[in-house]
Amino acid sequence: MKQNLISLALATLLVAPLTHALDLGKLVDELNKNPDLVNAVSGAVQNTIDANRTIGPKEEAAIGDGLAANLLGAAPLVNDAALQRYVNQVGAWVASRSEAPNLSWRFGVIDSPNVNGFATPGGTILITRGLYQKLNDEAELAGVLAHEISHVLLHHHIRAIQAGKGREAMGNALQGFASYKQGDTARQIGANALSGMSEVFVRGLDKDDEYEADIRGMALAARAGYNPYALVSVLQALSAINPADGTVQLMFSTHPAPNDRLNKIDQVVGDKLERYATGAEETQRFYRLK
Amino acid sequence: MKQHWISLALAGLIAAGASWADSGTLIRATPLKQKPLLDAATVSELPANSRLNIVARKGAWMQVKTASGQSGWVKLLNVRTGSAGSGGGGGLGTLGKVITTGSSGTTVTTGVKGLSAEQIENAKPNFAELDKLKQYQVSSGSATSSARQAGLGAQSVPYVAYTRGSASGSNTDATSPMNRRP
Ligand SMILES: [Zn+2]
Repeated sequence: MKQNLISLALATLLVAPLTHALDLGKLVDELNKNPDLVNAVSGAVQNTIDANRTIGPKEEAAIGDGLAANLLGAAPLVNDAALQRYVNQVGAWVASRSEAPNLSWRFGVIDSPNVNGFATPGGTILITRGLYQKLNDEAELAGVLAHEISHVLLHHHIRAIQAGKGREAMGNALQGFASYKQGDTARQIGANALSGMSEVFVRGLDKDDEYEADIRGMALAARAGYNPYALVSVLQALSAINPADGTVQLMFSTHPAPNDRLNKIDQVVGDKLERYATGAEETQRFYRLK
Repeated sequence: MKQHWISLALAGLIAAGASWADSGTLIRATPLKQKPLLDAATVSELPANSRLNIVARKGAWMQVKTASGQSGWVKLLNVRTGSAGSGGGGGLGTLGKVITTGSSGTTVTTGVKGLSAEQIENAKPNFAELDKLKQYQVSSGSATSSARQAGLGAQSVPYVAYTRGSASGSNTDATSPMNRRP
């Protein structure tokens, strides 16, 4: 009910310049009778303005940390320090070949049998144990991480939150930034705003974001000395999984079908990166997870 | 040296593991090459929709065995796996429904919300675990020397241009002009 009143008031405010002054006067009267509504309306307007503006790197990092903490609340890290260190070595190397080598890049494998990967704004990237176990060599890992790194570089998640359901939650988070104390700003965002923004991981990105991350990720993997076509092998392995299998449901519902991604790579990349196909595939340091 | 080859072959067998019996379908007519090289001899010309058993992968190539027992190499990107074969749509259509919102052109796919979607929706932030994650972070200097030790070398590779809004062909949403960006 309150929600309804707010949107009604908001709608009226938005068309206000076109309407009769008398109507506006009525609205002001109404608002005067109900101070809660005044606060709600001005808050919502302020949040909308905040959610529209360009998000700075510090805010992106804080929001990303909060989103990563939320994902880690859903599934903690695999308790294997050697695995986590290895994934950071590979990921940081690939990211160092990007246009943003100095972002705070962090990587982790989370303990879920589901097959999925998550990029959060600012450079924290999580992949599931289920996905890691599908990988045959380091070039395939690099291909997956390069895809996620590309989402970060292109600000895909921040933009999807701004354009989608998490918009108001992000407005709330951003409005708070001014008042946050120095230090760990991610903790000050609040669980509700984090939960609202985390919706992006359930709804997914635009298909174009996914194709773009595949295509740029392949070049990035090649820059790091890997065979860029290893991503093709990963997508072929994903395509072979029965979509009814519970471990792929969220990934398949938030990404274009693997075969659509392969078709796009075929169409856009084709043989353009073949001169780098002699890049590394297997490495001695590849960490096999049972 | 021989020892090395044997362990390599063994490692290969172990790595192949689950993918041992994998099969694929050609999406277009393709020459079957004796070696993973464009100028290698052609074993035979394979028609589109040929079923193949996947033996190995190398670079941009896939080693395959045909139904008639011929062995050779084809380009990776000419092969699709899974029951959908050359259809390209995967099995997604049976799972979810694509909803396109007109104004933004944003496409989201909804469908069966698996347990993990609920887990994400109901999650409470775990900052202790985030602190743990931060401890594993490595500097790009450390990653670079580790990569060098692993035999990796930096290459200079330009990005391949991708035009957004060019989504076409096999996508369920491709018919909607609302979904195309200028
Ligand atoms: Zn993605």
